[in-house]
Amino acid sequence: MSLVNYIYLSAILFAIGSAVVLVRRNAIVVFMGVELMLNATNLAFVTFARMNGQLDGQAIALFVMVVAAAEVVVGLAIIMSIYRARRSASVDDANLLKL
Amino acid sequence: MIASMAGALPTEFVMTQISYAAVLPMLLVFGGAMIGVLIEAFAPRRFRHEAQVTLTLLTLVAALVAIATSARDHQGITAAGAVVIDGPALIFQGVIVALAAVGVLAMAERFTADEADAFTQSGAAVPGSPREAAAVRLGATSTEVFPLTLFAVAGMMLFPASADLLVMFVALEVLSLPLYILSGLARRRRLLSQEASLKYFLLGAFSSAFFLFGAALIYGYAGSLELSDIATAVQNQSGMDGLLIPGVLLVVVGLLFKVGAAPFHAWTPDVYQGAPSPVTGFMAAGTKVAAFGALLRVLYVAFEGVRWDWMPILWGVAILTMVVGAVLSVTQTDMKRLLAYSSIAHAGFILVGVLALNQKGVSSTLFYLVAYGFMTIAAFAIVALVRSSGNEATHLSQWAGLGKRSPIVAGVFAFLLLAFTGIPLTSGFTAKFAVFAAAVAGGGTWLVIVGIICSGITAFVYIRIIVLMYFSEPAGDTMVMTPTVMSTLCISLGTLVTLWLGIIPSPLLDLASQSTLFLR
Amino acid sequence: MLSPYLVVGGVVLVGVLLFVAAMGARRLIAPSAPTPAKESTYECGVDPVGEGWAQTNVRYFLYAFLYVIFAVDAVYLFPWATVIRSSDLALASLAEVGIFVGVLLIGLAHAWRHGLLRWL
Repeated sequence: MSLVNYIYLSAILFAIGSAVVLVRRNAIVVFMGVELMLNATNLAFVTFARMNGQLDGQAIALFVMVVAAAEVVVGLAIIMSIYRARRSASVDDANLLKL
Repeated sequence: MIASMAGALPTEFVMTQISYAAVLPMLLVFGGAMIGVLIEAFAPRRFRHEAQVTLTLLTLVAALVAIATSARDHQGITAAGAVVIDGPALIFQGVIVALAAVGVLAMAERFTADEADAFTQSGAAVPGSPREAAAVRLGATSTEVFPLTLFAVAGMMLFPASADLLVMFVALEVLSLPLYILSGLARRRRLLSQEASLKYFLLGAFSSAFFLFGAALIYGYAGSLELSDIATAVQNQSGMDGLLIPGVLLVVVGLLFKVGAAPFHAWTPDVYQGAPSPVTGFMAAGTKVAAFGALLRVLYVAFEGVRWDWMPILWGVAILTMVVGAVLSVTQTDMKRLLAYSSIAHAGFILVGVLALNQKGVSSTLFYLVAYGFMTIAAFAIVALVRSSGNEATHLSQWAGLGKRSPIVAGVFAFLLLAFTGIPLTSGFTAKFAVFAAAVAGGGTWLVIVGIICSGITAFVYIRIIVLMYFSEPAGDTMVMTPTVMSTLCISLGTLVTLWLGIIPSPLLDLASQSTLFLR
Repeated sequence: MLSPYLVVGGVVLVGVLLFVAAMGARRLIAPSAPTPAKESTYECGVDPVGEGWAQTNVRYFLYAFLYVIFAVDAVYLFPWATVIRSSDLALASLAEVGIFVGVLLIGLAHAWRHGLLRWL
């Protein structure tokens, strides 16, 4: 199978992730969309590494995973504190800040 | 398949050479943050505030000294092509550290209490819950903000000094993650603050994913993430050209988000309003400097060869940013949101300088960032002083007649507003003049015309506030807190720099124009 | 060309066989006398209540956070394994990994002093 297909797959996953971020209301689901985007990027990195005959891309993917984990911890902590204050994780309920 | 992978393996592991003298400033800041965490863990509560503030300020001063002495003599690309310490990187790092030091002064303000005034005593507790009350009774402190600030500063220092898109991504996260937390720690209006934190986090994570996907596409195109390799690959136009332009645009979108340029500005007013005012000042100044530094490096070093593809788009972004910032600031009724839209407009003016794409572009952008950084930190420190029934009085109507109640504070704020406008004898005038002159030299006359029109619109907004402060009767229970030495120092430093750069701009302009050469 | 994969396949096969053999032997040898108590999900302890989907107490999420951080950071220890035995890099790499682990320990110390490791 051609390696290019993996790039298409990663682009599709990235698009799905960004659609989730833009469409879904639950902060945790929105956040899962962001994670999907990051992991789609990892797939692209690994595929490009294979195409270029290098290992750099695989090492980069490891860095991205660690950064994503740190982001998960901070993000879920913020979402948890909001949820505990309001008993809701909907981004629509977070509407005190309006134009 | 195995054989082909084995061919890609390096034959032997080579140890990376790191010029420790060049990266010493960043190591100092990281180390200071680490010690701050230890103080937070082991020092008794009653000493923490003094210890943390002293440590933070000492760290920042030491980093500034290290930049001026050690790092300056060891310029070059180090750490296996990950970090580049050159003229612009040094200047940007110095500016970030100086701005952070002034910003920390404002964060350390505690009036007559025992702990920092702007921050909640128990960030993890639910607002208004018994647990929060218990934490306050037991004397909980919020001194974590100082190590968090240092971590953010370290990320900001690495951001414009990264020679590799991966390092840039890591730096982006290192600077952003502490800021997400910091903006959720306001003592008053905690729900608003938490909400700002959530919005900043979700949109920030979204945009860094864009940055990363752009980097992945560029990696596919160039086979490397090092900016110099990308520049070479861009010159040679080899193979998968379809990946290059989308990659460039996605990376630039990630950076423009951090800068707060339209149409990626939606987070700015919400976060600026919800975050504690001293954090807003620090964030507005520091993030802008760091992100514009990174944007300059990426555009000038890596993507210079395809400038005709991204220039028109960035022209549009710059015009839209100036117009959106200027027009929407007219309709604002909240002081912090107004300053947020003003920061968007300023981001547009700075983009005009960036798009000049010449030496003058770099030096004028730098000058503008310094001028904007100091005035905005001082302005938010003043916003933190004006109170009404215990809360910050951020509604514009509450500022009516402030000139009669508190002439000094109102006078300083009016001066800062004139600097935002760009009136001669303030740094704002010199900065705008330098940026517009560079843009005209770079062929951006139309940008300059739009910029001048937008300056006029924002001038109307600022003058209206000055009129409100001086020519209307005081109403309500607005009062101005008496600042202690910390805020006083912060506001006077910010104001003095604004005045100094307005009267004698040449030393900084000379320094900036001597260090415009990006190392490739 | 394929021989490395044959070795991997062999190891996987042996693993599967070991598991099947152990479970099969248990099934053949062990006596079977089911009672309702033994059929329940957890034979000892509290009777399970409610559905399979249940909300987990929030307190676990702190441990999840700590786990995520430390488990993921362990990734950076693997490259170290490839150089630890070479004579000229061993000491330098040991010092560098010491710094890396030290940074993590500072974070752990902070979590410990703030009572995050205590069972609430």
